[in-house]
Amino acid sequence: MATVASRVASAARAWRSTYRVSDYSNLLFLIPATVFFVGWQIYPIIRVFVLSFTDYKYLERNPPNFVGLHNYINALNDPLFHVGMLRAFVFTVVFVPLTILIPLVLAVLIDRVTNPWLSSFYRIVLLIPAVIPGPLVFVLWKWLFDFQIGPVNTILVEWLGIFTRQTAPQWLGGTPLSLPAVIIMEVWWGLGYHTMFFLAGLAAVPKDLSEQARIDGANEWQLFWRVIVPRLLPILSILVVLRFGTAMSVIDEYLIFGGFQRTSPTYTWTVYMYDLAFRIGDWLQGYAAAIGWLGAVVMMVFVVGMLYVFRSRD
Amino acid sequence: MKTPNQTDTNGTRPSLTRRQMLRLLATGTATAAAGALLAACGGTAPSTPPGSAPAQTTSRPLTPTFYQWIVDLHPSIPQVNSTFEGLNFQIAPVQGFGIERFVAEAKNQESTWDVYVGMTPFVEMSQLIKADVIEPWDDYIPKDVLDDFLPPIREECTVNGKLYSWPFLLDVIGMAWNSNLTDKAGITTVPTTWDEYLANAKQVVDSGAAPYGATYDARGWRSLAPFTHSMSTDVYTSEGLFDFTSEPAVEALILMKKIKDLANPDILNEGTTDGGVNNTPDEGAFAAQQVAYYTKYFNAPLRFAQTGGFSDKLQMAGLPRFANSQGGTVFWTTGACLFKYGKNKEKAVEYMRALTYNQQIWKDSIAGSPTAHPGQLPPYKSIYAEWEANKPEWMQPFVALVREQFERARAINNHPFGLTQFVIGKPYWEEYLTGKESDPRAALQKAKDAVAAEIAKAG
Repeated sequence: MATVASRVASAARAWRSTYRVSDYSNLLFLIPATVFFVGWQIYPIIRVFVLSFTDYKYLERNPPNFVGLHNYINALNDPLFHVGMLRAFVFTVVFVPLTILIPLVLAVLIDRVTNPWLSSFYRIVLLIPAVIPGPLVFVLWKWLFDFQIGPVNTILVEWLGIFTRQTAPQWLGGTPLSLPAVIIMEVWWGLGYHTMFFLAGLAAVPKDLSEQARIDGANEWQLFWRVIVPRLLPILSILVVLRFGTAMSVIDEYLIFGGFQRTSPTYTWTVYMYDLAFRIGDWLQGYAAAIGWLGAVVMMVFVVGMLYVFRSRD
Repeated sequence: MKTPNQTDTNGTRPSLTRRQMLRLLATGTATAAAGALLAACGGTAPSTPPGSAPAQTTSRPLTPTFYQWIVDLHPSIPQVNSTFEGLNFQIAPVQGFGIERFVAEAKNQESTWDVYVGMTPFVEMSQLIKADVIEPWDDYIPKDVLDDFLPPIREECTVNGKLYSWPFLLDVIGMAWNSNLTDKAGITTVPTTWDEYLANAKQVVDSGAAPYGATYDARGWRSLAPFTHSMSTDVYTSEGLFDFTSEPAVEALILMKKIKDLANPDILNEGTTDGGVNNTPDEGAFAAQQVAYYTKYFNAPLRFAQTGGFSDKLQMAGLPRFANSQGGTVFWTTGACLFKYGKNKEKAVEYMRALTYNQQIWKDSIAGSPTAHPGQLPPYKSIYAEWEANKPEWMQPFVALVREQFERARAINNHPFGLTQFVIGKPYWEEYLTGKESDPRAALQKAKDAVAAEIAKAG
């Protein structure tokens, strides 16, 4: 009498033996995902690429003309694109380290909490920002940073007396402080999410490894850099690459905190691209597409470089 | 080879052969292609097999869509809606004056909505016309209504002799002040010139009545343009653009700097809603009674005095003028456009007529309601004539004031860059306001050049 296991195995063998390339019904199940992937990922990318070589103006009724590299040459000579890229880099260079290092330190500290209740409490508290919907986060931080009624300025002016009402910092509305304001909000928003990543990584670090290092005379600093960080490198690299991509292409927060003020540090290449495509004059979507592609290429170069730096050396 | 209906001997499910799969896909593709081809040729793809009766097409109900703020400020709109059975009332996806959804639909020769209430001619009308999104009202609007519009408003809403905007809400830029603060400062005169205005504002600050003397909305169409108009309204180039380098514009910028020195420190900041356009710092400062004098469209001081709880202390007057000038200001209407690919055109006319002539809406707008006090006025001669003949008990003195100001006002020209010229130019003229550039003419020249550069990009 065949056991259940052997029956299952023989059925699997039978299924495998009858499965051939000609069994096309399997492809039916791939259609939804394929349609979505092609329709919402591949097609827009290709379409934008094609558009970038035309003079397509969205408000014009005439068909677009092929203009070759004209848009790219113009974009490379466009000071607004240059400064927009620079602003995005400034944001990225400040934001990415902060959004990685602060959660890393927090994760290491929480990982050492031995009381299970306390450990859970810390995790829950840290995760709160991550579960708040985006619009609510924006509303909350706009209120916090409000020049006249915001708690941040109230603390700085009335509690600490560092500023007067006239000299209080202006965090919102395209001022030089708009970028730090966005950075503070973004770091806070990602704090719990990133900390969880690192906590998951730390859970995979054998405890006896740390104990062994201590016995060998390693201090906490050495333990952190020589034992913990190397073990968390895969997570670190993923987060750095992911966050680099999101930081370079931020747009919503910039629009909400800085509007379309061209001198604002939040007027980056992404805002400029949107401005060109949907707001100014005839809506130069061909030109905006070229700017989008240039930005994407710049980001890809950096991402490939980072993947090379973080490549596995096992 | 198995057929689809065969079952494997081992009990696995039936499968398709390569031939069947390709046939299936080809059939689907051919059907879709045939439909697309027919549609492209102007025909309609058959939705029912030949020989069977076509399905009855049911026309949709009238579907107007409104810019959110209009609904917020005019609580009687639902009352009008209730008289149109089956009306599909919607809020428009136009955050920050965005019209991309309308344009995208028109490209496909379709429209989810029939009429959009929220269009300001100089802001987006030219773009909507250019993109073939809207059509003129002329073929549908009754002549008596057309003739009832105040002439400058009709002119504002007309392009190439055709009326593209059905005006609804009239806004005029003027002056307001919080008499709580001016009384405290010992001010007894109403400023009629900018010099007097500045002197009074300084007196407010010097006396300690309020931290700031005066404020304005830094967006150009709400400050630079009206201040310029207060010297002269003849400040537009032959292309229809605002002439940033005209002498009145230079004087207006110098004035803005003088006011800024007496204003809330965040006066130049972008607003925090609608892509920086609304919820602006001036509104907060005035509502918080931090500033005494305020220049903006009249509905702003009315609303924010209500917010701040000092409506009874609010005073309003026309925009001050420069010495030796007649004085002028800016007006605009917010109205409705008719979607070219919308439906129910005649019904849309009925609806707009009912909406814009509704007495309750105007009463609430002028006298205020528990929820809002926009103070926006109607565009019709007959309504004013009626009010003049039989003055309603709820009539407010500011109505006559706005009407008087309106006579001296001019709309900003309709142009694809009508609004964005001010957005593009703002950082450059603000270099003078912030002290980065000492010459106002140089700052305004940069603004003009920046706008010209954007127009040149368009080719």
